[in-house]
Amino acid sequence: MITRRPPSRAQIRRERMQAAANFPLDWLEERSGLVGGIRYFLFRKVPSDTNWMQTLGSATLTAFIVQAVTGVILAMYYKPTPEAAYSSIQNITDHVTMGWLVRGMHKWGASVFIILMFLHMGRVFLFGSYKYPRELNWIVGVLLLAMGMLEGFTGYLLPWDQTAYWASVVGINLNGTAPFLGPFLAQFLRGGQEIGADTLTHFYSLHMLVIPGAIGGLIALHLYLIIRLGVTSPPWSKEAAGEVPVDGVPRELRAGLTRAGDGDGRGNGGPA
Amino acid sequence: MATAGKPRPIDERRAQFQRYKEDVKKRGKPFYPFAMFHDTVMSLVVVSVIVGLATIWKWTSFGPHHDGLHQGLLGPEYTAPADPGTTSFVPRPDWYFYFLFYLLRIFKWPDTVFLGTVGIPNVLLVLLLVLPFIDVRRERRLSRRPVAVVAAVLTVLSMAVLTWKGATAKEALASEVINSVPSWIKAEKLPAAAVPGAKLFAVSGCTACHTYMGTGSSALGAPDLTNIGTRHLGITFQINHLKCPSCVNPGSPMPKFASLGDARLRQLAIFLEDSKGPR
Amino acid sequence: MDPVEHDQPHLPAPTVGPVGFALGVVVALVGLIINPLWISSIGGAITVIFAFVWAREATAEMRGRHVAVEPEMREAGVGDAPALPATAGEAAMPPPEPGERFPRSKFLEASTLGLGAVIGGVVTVPVAGFAVLPAFLGQKRHSVDLGPITDLTEGQWYVATFQLDPKEGETSRRTAFVRNNGVTTARGKQEPSFTIISNRCAHLGCPVQANGPTGSILGMKTISETTANGPVKLEPVVPAGFGCPCHGGQYDTEGNRTAGPPVRGLDRYDFEINNGRLVLLSEYSVAKVDGSGAQAKIHKYKFAGPGEHVTGVEQILYPLQPPHH
Repeated sequence: MITRRPPSRAQIRRERMQAAANFPLDWLEERSGLVGGIRYFLFRKVPSDTNWMQTLGSATLTAFIVQAVTGVILAMYYKPTPEAAYSSIQNITDHVTMGWLVRGMHKWGASVFIILMFLHMGRVFLFGSYKYPRELNWIVGVLLLAMGMLEGFTGYLLPWDQTAYWASVVGINLNGTAPFLGPFLAQFLRGGQEIGADTLTHFYSLHMLVIPGAIGGLIALHLYLIIRLGVTSPPWSKEAAGEVPVDGVPRELRAGLTRAGDGDGRGNGGPA
Repeated sequence: MATAGKPRPIDERRAQFQRYKEDVKKRGKPFYPFAMFHDTVMSLVVVSVIVGLATIWKWTSFGPHHDGLHQGLLGPEYTAPADPGTTSFVPRPDWYFYFLFYLLRIFKWPDTVFLGTVGIPNVLLVLLLVLPFIDVRRERRLSRRPVAVVAAVLTVLSMAVLTWKGATAKEALASEVINSVPSWIKAEKLPAAAVPGAKLFAVSGCTACHTYMGTGSSALGAPDLTNIGTRHLGITFQINHLKCPSCVNPGSPMPKFASLGDARLRQLAIFLEDSKGPR
Repeated sequence: MDPVEHDQPHLPAPTVGPVGFALGVVVALVGLIINPLWISSIGGAITVIFAFVWAREATAEMRGRHVAVEPEMREAGVGDAPALPATAGEAAMPPPEPGERFPRSKFLEASTLGLGAVIGGVVTVPVAGFAVLPAFLGQKRHSVDLGPITDLTEGQWYVATFQLDPKEGETSRRTAFVRNNGVTTARGKQEPSFTIISNRCAHLGCPVQANGPTGSILGMKTISETTANGPVKLEPVVPAGFGCPCHGGQYDTEGNRTAGPPVRGLDRYDFEINNGRLVLLSEYSVAKVDGSGAQAKIHKYKFAGPGEHVTGVEQILYPLQPPHH
């Protein structure tokens, strides 16, 4: 016979504490469903054979977050006028407490961000992860790459030193050589006929608000598509998800679908 | 839906994705913590690298020298303030634009300028965008995607080469070239009579096309002049050639230097004749 | 369950305590403006009295008095439903009713979209205009005083640096190569002639340099003066031509392209002589120059950006240009 003993005081206290700890989460969940969403994101299944190379995407995101945070702080000290820009950069680098670190992280974080974008793209290319049904996410990724490069271009002018100024002159004029719309594009970037104060504020606004906003939106779409469509297994994996049947039949012998698919574009790069 | 007989490619792709979803459901691992642990480790590496670069940059440039203009291991913290009226500056983009920067140097004919500026970069961007619609096979294994692998290797190689060429590309600035004149005098044991010519050579834009003792740019493929004197062309020839290069040497793209005046051309000619290579 | 049925108070009706308290606070605050001494004091007193009344009412239950509270009415079971587990989140939309209660109204649809378009237009037009319009604005007219023409030796080249627009300061500093060609009678009367070549490369806008010795090497003095346009510097130079260090563009002394990637000759400045002073006017583009100095025949085009062809087949790539003066 099992006698049901009344719960001990310690048990009761523990339960109460648990309830108290869970209360804010339950409160939030009941009103927003956010907890469930995050839980779904964290505990969703990914293929069992994912690879270290598949961490490059999240590493790129980390680099972007570093850029966003350091950029916001730099904006508190930076002055986007031709008279003050250079001295404010000097001030940030040489006088503001840890300013050199924040500016250094922003400057070098840009390079790391770009490198990681290229590496991540290379990984996706090698894994063939851009294929059905992930075509749209590849396109979003390419747009992110272009936006990232634009961030590099617009940010380069801001210190308003010789390198910054003349590299931007060439960069803007380079856009100006595009047929038909080029001259207008160049004049839009310059904010007029000559490079000057308006050019600096144009680049500042693009660098601070317009392009980062676009990148943020594209990243959200990118992540949504990753969560919706899942992560691919490495193509060489023996147990790649979707490739090998669970019952152990090698995929070459798999009847119907795979067999016909392999014959589809054998020998060359497909219907390129 | 597939009709009888061979299934359509799109049905195969859909079936494969369906299998993928089932496989992941059955045999997959939860993203947290299994995959996310790796992500976190990688992110830590990334942040460490960023902080490390920032630190090296600061402490090799400003640190020991107390001057943000000092060229540290990773370059100066800032260059001189912008001078829109300068006549002695060569701009350079950030390193990840070097491949585009070098494209500009490759297209050195007026009719092809826009290929290097916007043509090729935009074609590449469009190719990247439509890649999933060019390569529509389901195959993902590298051994079965020879075209893709070759294309990737070629792309990486050409980007690397262009970036490297851009990083090592040399420019010549009159204001900087004149600083190397003493080292020329020393290395080539130039006589006193050749010194005015050497200075003139340094400031007259000769190094925009020619190289001399490693100084100068070879953008347009003009010959190196370090030991032009060993050819014993003679003062008169040098003067005539400088006056009108295409008269002496038909088809030469070198501009005329006649407007420097006879006296200066003679100085230049003496310098060139005395340039017999490092001795 | 119909909410109306249960819409009854489940707490005691509000009493005089909090109302009086609030009234007291209001009187005290109004008194601060009208008459702090008297009215505020009265307000304060009212506040204190009603605070006491309120406190007694609120603690009635604790002090053992019975308080009549009407219970909140719920159907059994519904009120005891457990909180939703954090994993399950349901969309808040109720399932659709059988039968269309709200038949689609074409009118509402059209007006919603229409109003949205109006809002979008009202916001977009000024913003886009503000952002894009400068791309269609013309070059600012400027005139730059370079000082008396007698300062410039005939036949001598100078590297002139000046501010295009003194209001913009150093940002508008530009450089041009200036040569005094002496007096010409080309247009039937005697007038001074100058060659004024911009140092903006016609390839991609890098700073072009003079190929030749300048001031200190020549042993000649640089002219520095301050005119209406701020500081002006004229450094003597003997150029064999002009060259761009960026991508190797080469020009002769008239600004004609001789080698490298530039798509046309160097741009020039218009000029006028005003009270014996040389004044630079707007820039224009040049395809090529025949002859030299005062006798030069300049193939003039309107001011174009670097890298834009003004002649040849490629000029059809740039048919539309932002307006220039």
